[in-house]
Amino acid sequence: MPILDQGYQHWDGKLAGHAFRWLAITRQGVKAQFKNRWLVSTLVGALAPALLLAGFLILWGLFEQQATVLEPFLFLFQGLPDEVRHGPKGFRTTFWTLAFTLFFRVQTFFAFVLVMLVGPDLISQDLRFNALPLYLSRPLRRVDYFLGKLGVIATFLLGIMLIPAILAYLIGLAFSMDPAVLPQTWRVLAASAAYGAILAASTGLLMLALSSLSRNSRFVTAIWVGLWMLGGAAADASRRTPAREWAPLASYPADLASVRDALFDYDAQWDRLADVFRKGREAMQDAAGFGGRPRRPRIFGIPFGPPPPRDGLGPPEPPSPPGLTNADPARPPWPWAAGVLAGLGVASAVVLSTRVRSLDRLK
Amino acid sequence: MLIELEELTKTYGAVTALAGLSVALPGGAMGLLGPNGAGKTTMIRSLLGLIRIDSGRGRVLGMDIERQALEIRQAVGFVPEDECLFPGVTGVQFVAYAGELVGMPSRDALRRSHEMLDYVGLGEARYRRVESYSTGMKQRLKIAAGIVHDPKLLILDEPTNGMDPAGREEILALCRDLAGAKGMNLLISSHLLPDVEAVCEYVVVLGRGRLLAQGRIADLKRPHDGEFELRVRGDQEAFARILADRGVKADPVDDRLRIALPAGEGVASLWEAAEDSSEQIRMLRPRRSTLEEVFLNAVGGAG
Repeated sequence: MPILDQGYQHWDGKLAGHAFRWLAITRQGVKAQFKNRWLVSTLVGALAPALLLAGFLILWGLFEQQATVLEPFLFLFQGLPDEVRHGPKGFRTTFWTLAFTLFFRVQTFFAFVLVMLVGPDLISQDLRFNALPLYLSRPLRRVDYFLGKLGVIATFLLGIMLIPAILAYLIGLAFSMDPAVLPQTWRVLAASAAYGAILAASTGLLMLALSSLSRNSRFVTAIWVGLWMLGGAAADASRRTPAREWAPLASYPADLASVRDALFDYDAQWDRLADVFRKGREAMQDAAGFGGRPRRPRIFGIPFGPPPPRDGLGPPEPPSPPGLTNADPARPPWPWAAGVLAGLGVASAVVLSTRVRSLDRLK
Repeated sequence: MLIELEELTKTYGAVTALAGLSVALPGGAMGLLGPNGAGKTTMIRSLLGLIRIDSGRGRVLGMDIERQALEIRQAVGFVPEDECLFPGVTGVQFVAYAGELVGMPSRDALRRSHEMLDYVGLGEARYRRVESYSTGMKQRLKIAAGIVHDPKLLILDEPTNGMDPAGREEILALCRDLAGAKGMNLLISSHLLPDVEAVCEYVVVLGRGRLLAQGRIADLKRPHDGEFELRVRGDQEAFARILADRGVKADPVDDRLRIALPAGEGVASLWEAAEDSSEQIRMLRPRRSTLEEVFLNAVGGAG
């Protein structure tokens, strides 16, 4: 019986161009991350807010059309002011904006956890196992290497933020049955895309820079957690100083929140809703003739906002929608927060450039 | 020419790594020799376009080393000297990933990865994580990763460094097979002369960033006029004394004598001496330089 030893065979396939070479790094990185059970659990958990967002947009669309299918659930809307109940289309932009803002607020937490799970190994392990000569001696530039690694983080973040937001938006479009919805809510979609991109780029660059600082990924994880927590603590501590207005700038999550709210025009939409609720409360108080205690406003049957004063004579306060507050202390204008994020990005790029050297300077 | 360098100069601060190096290499299995600090690694990095040269120019496989660095690195395979790994992957994933990084389609890269691991003798360990590989296995893994895309030229930087004799012989056998049977061009940088001699047919000797010698090994190991190597059946030293009495210089080296005939004398005098002393000559051949001598002469001459 002949023994067939093929040994080395020549390969005459076609090699791809250089433009998307970084995708190979991203693909390999994403594939490798799925071995982590914690990561998979976090991804599954991050689906819940997306489902809730989609569910809200479906309910809102049906509510706008006063759909009969919604009749058993109309009690959920009893707490809304008459102005909203009788003309929900006029408040579409406001409610969509608040819903998407709440979604991104929750997803930012999941993003923090995901970056913590995905990011620390990305460069620190390459430094530990001296993988850079293997990368850079192939047809890759340093920028391809960075893009590939950034792509791993961006893939997961966009997967839990941008893609669900777009899908929810499309579902909202489908259930609104109104061509006016696009011109009214385009800003929500644009802000979602912009915030998703900013969050992915900012956290990705920052984590890559941290990952390049140590060959031990546990240290990197600790620095990342510390950055989020200590930044917030420093901001809280600074609020007791005369420069309290600028204190939020010390907190990385607060800077992200400031930029997010500016992109969604959250403050203006919130003020509008608060105004409507204030008028609604005043109407309730007038109707009650201050003789009885007015009920708390409700959305979907859930009371929210501070309880009305017992004597019914106190100044009316606008309620807070669930999960949202308008009680943020004074914060600096959002361009300052954007400036801090940009500065962190530049600093991260400098750290990366210093720590991940070309073979010209590698031993 | 496979590789052409003209007046290549590269400095690192006050240190001149390459000082107007001009080399033309024809292809085949080529050795790059030189003491530490001779500029071997800098020359290799220049060939791959990994460093910015100060002056001069060069071409690899017809491509300019400054303007077509990415194309060169796509066409060339490189096996670095240091221990370096893609972490957290198995052997087969390692080689497939290396293939994808040069632009191979994923499916082809995975198929070639299996073939290459079989070829370098790591078929049994293909699903083990690479961190658990021994030094020799890691070296073979790097070679598999270097040849996965079937490069026209494979550059190996100190491929047998730190390896035991058996592992070293396996690597040299692989290199011989690649160069001899598979027709791949090899450039092997080493300071181990036997390794280069075992694989290469062409050699370049560098020293202080300059070219000290280059050529076919067979040509460099030139015959010496009037010098022979001789072995006799009986006592070597006794026969050396007989030759000395006749004015022939004879030095015992290993199991033979190194003979230097006086000017005007021929080998007939050796046969006469053997006949007179009833000795049998078992081997007589013109003496050629060893590669070590070529290297030492080149480096010594430069010094």
